[in-house]
Amino acid sequence: MNKICEIEHNCEVTLSKIRLILLMTVATLALAACAAKPPTEAAPETEPTAAAEETPEAVVSAVPDTECLNCHTDKQHLIDTAAPVVEAEGESKGVG
Amino acid sequence: MAPLEPWEKALVDAGTFLETTHGKMACTACHGGTEAADKETAHTGLVASPSSEPEKYCGECHDDVTSTFEFALHNSQQGYWTALNARTGEVPENHPAVEEMFGNHCATCHTTCGECHVSQPKNVGGGLFTGHVFEKTPPMTRSCTACHGSRVGNEFLGKNEGIPGDVHFREGRMSCVKCHAGAELHGTATDMETAEANRYDGMEAPKCVDCHATAAPGGDDNPMHQVHGEKLSCQVCHSVTYTSCDNCHVAVSETSGNPFFETDATYQTFLIGRNPIQSDERPYAFVPVRHVPADPNAYEFYGENLLPNFDSLPTWVYSTPHNIQKNTPQNESCESCHAEDVSIFLTADKVKPEELAANASVIVEANPPLVDLEQVLSAPKTPANHAELVSNSCTACHTTGIRNAPLSPEDHAVYKDDNCLGCHTMAK
Repeated sequence: MNKICEIEHNCEVTLSKIRLILLMTVATLALAACAAKPPTEAAPETEPTAAAEETPEAVVSAVPDTECLNCHTDKQHLIDTAAPVVEAEGESKGVG
Repeated sequence: MAPLEPWEKALVDAGTFLETTHGKMACTACHGGTEAADKETAHTGLVASPSSEPEKYCGECHDDVTSTFEFALHNSQQGYWTALNARTGEVPENHPAVEEMFGNHCATCHTTCGECHVSQPKNVGGGLFTGHVFEKTPPMTRSCTACHGSRVGNEFLGKNEGIPGDVHFREGRMSCVKCHAGAELHGTATDMETAEANRYDGMEAPKCVDCHATAAPGGDDNPMHQVHGEKLSCQVCHSVTYTSCDNCHVAVSETSGNPFFETDATYQTFLIGRNPIQSDERPYAFVPVRHVPADPNAYEFYGENLLPNFDSLPTWVYSTPHNIQKNTPQNESCESCHAEDVSIFLTADKVKPEELAANASVIVEANPPLVDLEQVLSAPKTPANHAELVSNSCTACHTTGIRNAPLSPEDHAVYKDDNCLGCHTMAK
């Protein structure tokens, strides 16, 4: 009897170990499936970004040249910074 | 046109310009430069006149224009070269001197897209029109007549004392582009082979009868239009006194180093001459002629005898004065032209002796005789195949009867060969 009990006990231990291994394998597979998504599924997320870059935003966007406009829309600034006019005496005579 | 102040030339109207299509582009996209607060740094790499390279800066959106503009007279100045090549004879050893002269004195009349559509031409001081707003239709006095002012502009706007402005401006307030369409100004040719040699080359455009269709031969019951038909350009009867000039000489100043010119005289004339460029498009026998300031020694500063073929072109040239009137002194009566008085014609006595050879093709030998109107209208036409005859001497056959030619009536004895086609127009 003792031997039979010993064998049954050993069998239960062995079965428990097998169940544990199976459970861990399934869990590992499940985790692996969740962690690694195929790269093709990521593509749709990048497409809108690429499309946005192709719009003529760079050409027609709000003018970035603030320094240009700061000066060229300011009459007083242009007066202050204008190169002095050199009055060249016209040497031509008659109607051109 | 008053010159602009330096600040005025460069002032951008932010409120207006930035709302336009061009105003939504980055300044540096066309003008280059460097983003900086101080002027000197900001202007490093500045492209002041982007449309000097029209294909690069304008062609992306306006390629329909830039593709032909390279060959347009406004850009190529081929009209100058056509006259220069004829008079210089294209002598190879003279080319450097002629090209130097051209660069100093003629090339300044070249224009760009921007010099008509956004700023005044550099030739007259430059400066933005309206705060950098691009004008589809160039403003007439700040663009067109800023360059074409001393003759066409003054005539059209009535600035010559005592002479009325053109009726199209005076009564119709029409600007230049009402007649001179964009295609004419931008050119239509896509290579130099087919480009215009000068402004009177090719089709007559604009053509008065495009608007005044009834003035064309057979179009109305005005006997003057019917009798004169294609023998006279419209301006012969409908323009008035216009400007002529004499003796332009060019040189470079010894003191300033700047190129300059001198014209001897500017005066008002109205003279009818023979058409020196008669063609299917411009079949007129007579046209108003204007004296241009060409002179055999005009370029002597640059070299000796640079115009060896001076006589190859007239100095009294085909002209289209821009001071059109319905009623003019010469269309008051038939006797204005058909009389003993030949003062209205360019006769030899009105041409300087040294220019007689150059003007042989335009000088009028005698006034056209006065003929009964009914007689003119009923005169048999000259057969079309006579156009192929080598001789222009009608009387050689029609006073002798050779080749079985019908003899002209006795009362035709007073007429000369030059007169025949006046009544006996060529059959089509």
